[in-house]
Amino acid sequence: MVKHRRTLWILSVIAILSIVSYLSFWMLTTTYELFPQDPAIRDPMRQAIMNILQRRGYQVAAMMIAAVLIATTTLAFQTLTNNRILTPGLMGFDAIFVLSQTFIVFALHEQSALYQNPYLNFLFAASLMILITLIVYRLVLRKNKNHIVFLLLFGIIISTLSRNLASFLQTVMDPNQFYSVIIRTEVTITNMNTNIILLALPTLIVIIGLFVREFKYLDVMALGETHAVGLGINYQKKMNTYLIYIAIAMSIATALIGPITFLGLLAVNAAREMLKTFKHLPLMIASSLIAIVAIVLGQTIIIELGYQTTVTVLISFVGGLYMIYLIIRENHKK
Amino acid sequence: MIEVKNIYQAYGEQEVLKNVSITIPEEKITAIIGANGAGKSTLLGVISRLIKQKSGDVFLDQKNIKDMHNNEIAKTLSILKQANTMMIRLTIEELVTFGRFPHHRSRLKTEDVEKINEALHYMDLEDIKHKYLDELSGGQRQRAFIAMILAQDTKYILLDEPLNNLDIKYAIEMMMILKRLVTDLKKTIVLVMHDINIAAAYADYIIALKDGQVIEEGSAEYMMDKNILDIVFNHNFCIAGFRGKKICLYHNDIAYEEGPNPPLKIIQDYFKE
Repeated sequence: MVKHRRTLWILSVIAILSIVSYLSFWMLTTTYELFPQDPAIRDPMRQAIMNILQRRGYQVAAMMIAAVLIATTTLAFQTLTNNRILTPGLMGFDAIFVLSQTFIVFALHEQSALYQNPYLNFLFAASLMILITLIVYRLVLRKNKNHIVFLLLFGIIISTLSRNLASFLQTVMDPNQFYSVIIRTEVTITNMNTNIILLALPTLIVIIGLFVREFKYLDVMALGETHAVGLGINYQKKMNTYLIYIAIAMSIATALIGPITFLGLLAVNAAREMLKTFKHLPLMIASSLIAIVAIVLGQTIIIELGYQTTVTVLISFVGGLYMIYLIIRENHKK
Repeated sequence: MIEVKNIYQAYGEQEVLKNVSITIPEEKITAIIGANGAGKSTLLGVISRLIKQKSGDVFLDQKNIKDMHNNEIAKTLSILKQANTMMIRLTIEELVTFGRFPHHRSRLKTEDVEKINEALHYMDLEDIKHKYLDELSGGQRQRAFIAMILAQDTKYILLDEPLNNLDIKYAIEMMMILKRLVTDLKKTIVLVMHDINIAAAYADYIIALKDGQVIEEGSAEYMMDKNILDIVFNHNFCIAGFRGKKICLYHNDIAYEEGPNPPLKIIQDYFKE
């Protein structure tokens, strides 16, 4: 930890600057006078500024929560699958969440509480997702852990299948249901769902707390299954537990800001390059900070540029290129 | 003492171990030999709980490992398999530090640091302990992993093909180290290996597996027998003596000079029973 302190400090400062800029940069480009003297204009103006700040505050919180969750789960997932290329996003966790939410709307009556209440709705969708991921990934990860290409293909198939299934359900449901599905599932970074933030924040704290407690085991598990078992780790049990944590974390991140496939890959690998360590705790802090910077700073820039494109596209572009580089480098090693 | 009772293991239709029962002698090097696919590595895997058997039990000092906590097992028994590529980059010292994990499980105590330094010293790795594993030669790499096992400080050490990828010099060096572990540190070592001559020269006890069954077991001297080895490996051997130790020649052209092919009948008789 000590030798990484400087890097972590620098990253924290950049992350804080990004957050401040997201909260304040809009003031630079606004055409109104921000601090008028006339009370008749000043009071509504203040109110408007407060509203904007409040909205942006929620958005920043949502982005930060999602960034930390995505970075941490990617880190843990890479240790479980013993490689640096796979991420929960690539393996279709977010697509499964979208499918779960669509299925709930499809299966339940419009008036039911599970459907109306955003919290209950989220909890139900998350549980469904945990069930699916546990069944699917336990089976696959147990046997094919060393076949990265197989796992990647499997992830692509699962993502595509879930997305198509979701859009099929959306096609056959009635327009009212369809409308509410769209509200819940077409969440993107420009159209965040800050409704569940009161649920997301405590979950974030709990999940991160649980993961931090498990980092000493994850450190050992990074040696590979054989060594980890030899050193007294109950590997299968731990893996199931972590898959549940990952499923919960991914459902929250997806519900908040929608799918951002390559964010985790980018953040975790950048952290590995910067810190050159195998310890999960500093890696998790660094990758979370990098993810926050990427997403908050990226979003600030894009808003200031007048929404020419979205952060998701930007991150996918950079992350995709980086992934191709990683795959080529991995192949060269062998 | 490690006792293995009636281990049965199958992958689908294929039976890999058929009711294997063995007792591993204490403070000795035991070599498990056999042809490819005889079930050697599976047996080692079952003993070390890396592989779950279909039936049968493994007892560590009279305790069934099914009833033992994972961490408790890790303090009495260590296993080293042929290391496949690791995702993370480690120095020798970091790797050896992992060996202490079952004992401290979080933060290193002074006792752990001592054990780590002892292991590094014993395996002669002190000068290069800050080198990364991927910068090492095959022999150094293997020594680093043995040092990790030493730091784990277990009574029993299981090694799956520890001589793979090592040339003759390093293979002999490795066997000498293992021999020293037994005499100096009173360890019990079980290893799976291919080279019969090295097994005969350095192991005290040899267990021969064929088609998932124990065909014969005994002292190295006893096991270096043409009749036994011919059956185990389905091959025509020639046993020679050199300075009071038995070695076997397995080049067919040399072996054939000994005469016609007697062992075939023994093999056929063996499988009729």
